[in-house]
Amino acid sequence: MICCVRTPHPSLVAAWLKAPTLRGRSLVIGGLAHERASVTTASAEARGQGVVEGMGLNQAQQFTPDAIFQPVDEEATARVRQFLLSTLHHFTPDVAAAEDPGCAFLKLDRLALRWPDRSALLAAISRAIDAVIRVTPTIGVASSIFVSKLAADHATVGVPVIVEPEKTCAYLSRYPIDVLPLDDDLREYLELLGLRTIGRLQTISRHAFRRQFGQKALDIYDLAHGNDRRRLRPFRPPVRIEASEPLEPPVDNTEALQFIARALAERVSASLLAQGLGTRVVRITLIQESAPPLPIEVRFAYPMTTAGELFDGIRPRLLRASIVAPLERITMRAGRLEAAYVRQPGLLIRRDGFKESIADAVARLQEEYGPSLVQRAEVQADAAPLADHRVLWKPA
Amino acid sequence: MPDRLQQAITVLQTRFGSAAPRPAAPPCPARPSGVAEIDALTGIGGWPVGRLSLLAGQKGSGKRTIAQQSVAAASREGAVAYVDFPSRLDPEFLQRGGTRLDHLLVVRPKSLKDGMTSVRVLARAGVDLICIDLPRTRSAGLDAELPHLLHRAAEADCTLLLIHDAEPDDAIRYYASLILAFQRNTWVFRRDGDLEGLLVDATVVKNRLAPPGVKRRLLIPYPIP
Repeated sequence: MICCVRTPHPSLVAAWLKAPTLRGRSLVIGGLAHERASVTTASAEARGQGVVEGMGLNQAQQFTPDAIFQPVDEEATARVRQFLLSTLHHFTPDVAAAEDPGCAFLKLDRLALRWPDRSALLAAISRAIDAVIRVTPTIGVASSIFVSKLAADHATVGVPVIVEPEKTCAYLSRYPIDVLPLDDDLREYLELLGLRTIGRLQTISRHAFRRQFGQKALDIYDLAHGNDRRRLRPFRPPVRIEASEPLEPPVDNTEALQFIARALAERVSASLLAQGLGTRVVRITLIQESAPPLPIEVRFAYPMTTAGELFDGIRPRLLRASIVAPLERITMRAGRLEAAYVRQPGLLIRRDGFKESIADAVARLQEEYGPSLVQRAEVQADAAPLADHRVLWKPA
Repeated sequence: MPDRLQQAITVLQTRFGSAAPRPAAPPCPARPSGVAEIDALTGIGGWPVGRLSLLAGQKGSGKRTIAQQSVAAASREGAVAYVDFPSRLDPEFLQRGGTRLDHLLVVRPKSLKDGMTSVRVLARAGVDLICIDLPRTRSAGLDAELPHLLHRAAEADCTLLLIHDAEPDDAIRYYASLILAFQRNTWVFRRDGDLEGLLVDATVVKNRLAPPGVKRRLLIPYPIP
């Protein structure tokens, strides 16, 4: 059985998480009202007033003059989607993202032993998602992706729709053919023949359907009977490589700190090597005894893997760190993971196979020498004719 | 080219240096300087790519203006960097000269080592042209930095321009592929008495890519641009 978990569009959820007061209000995501863009998604209140996805923002404003218009926060949206998938991944590794950004699927077959009561499992999934993204999903369970998604679309919050395999045809028969992924021609043909519901379509034999509409239309016929041959593409959660070491008694000299940092670099390096990865950012957190934690970030131009390379970058930053109290713990985390094999082409082609972007190079220089090293200038034409007023220097 | 002819050219190059016969086609790609007279003067149609060009001359001889016009021309095509050791760059002047400020990175290093490291990193990252405005005081350690810098610039096809007010060191003279010396000639006035511009003599003191010794007089219009 496949379970489809449906939440509102992640960009809408992201906006609600950022400003909870927006819940219950008419909210349109896609851009500001005066922009020439289209609606990405809208809250139920805005939809109730006629706003639909893909509509121009100007038009949407005419429908809902009081609505709040917001641009899509891509980063927060991706984070919400990641949260949703990661939460489901805690239940089973058989999790897949759907094309619809608010949807995710999980296979329930391997959960029968752990969760003999399916309704308890569905309630636990619902609670887990609510705890992470503050939204209660609608849930549909069926034997295929298509039917489970349809069930989730028509379920209400807190009441999952479960379609047992033997009842799939009966469940689908009540829906109009519009729920099937039909192209315009096929829809027109079916309507001309008076086939407006899936139930009517199910009455036709497979052979007759193929003869009338061709081989390609058989996929639609199969979907109408609940047979969906699509397979779930498993979601893989992001890899987190981290090593941490408590310091007992607290360390207050740099020699010992370097020694421990080297050991942690070796542990991080071993994890990276085991997964064939390299890191471009190492984040170190030094927990001080009676002072706030001291974060250190070391960037590399290329994905580094070996302990020696990592420690060469880390050591000068550790020596320069302004440590004010003995250290209780040191944590080292590898960020921006990339496949380590990208270094290999360097053996064959000029420059060692890949190039650092200018933005990365500037970030690395600023981190090393301070933000004022590389700057961008902006001329303010309407300011007073004094150099200090007219030219605005900003870190690049 | 036949081997015997190549051998003969090698012998002549050994004996006469840059005055020996050379291929008519430019041996090195060039980046337009934004000033037609300078493009003609260099012999290859602009600043050599992946090499170091030095603009030398006393203060007020126009070399910085020429370099900044080259920065403007390069900024219209890609990313450029200006390493401003003396901290006297005027972005408004650059903008008036047609520089795209959103393509310009200004590096203001505290020491020569910081500056040269920045140039190496930016060259490698894909900046097309880097203009280095050196401090007037003697730059200790520059001779050790230049070979690394040139290696990186050649690898990344980055054009390096070096502006130096004082008499250049032997190291700079050695590593530069092109040295243009600027000398202020005279102010030029219109008939109505308004200032038209500054007349500058530019001489190719050294050129590894075309015959050196070429001189040209050019007018830097006033107000600039």
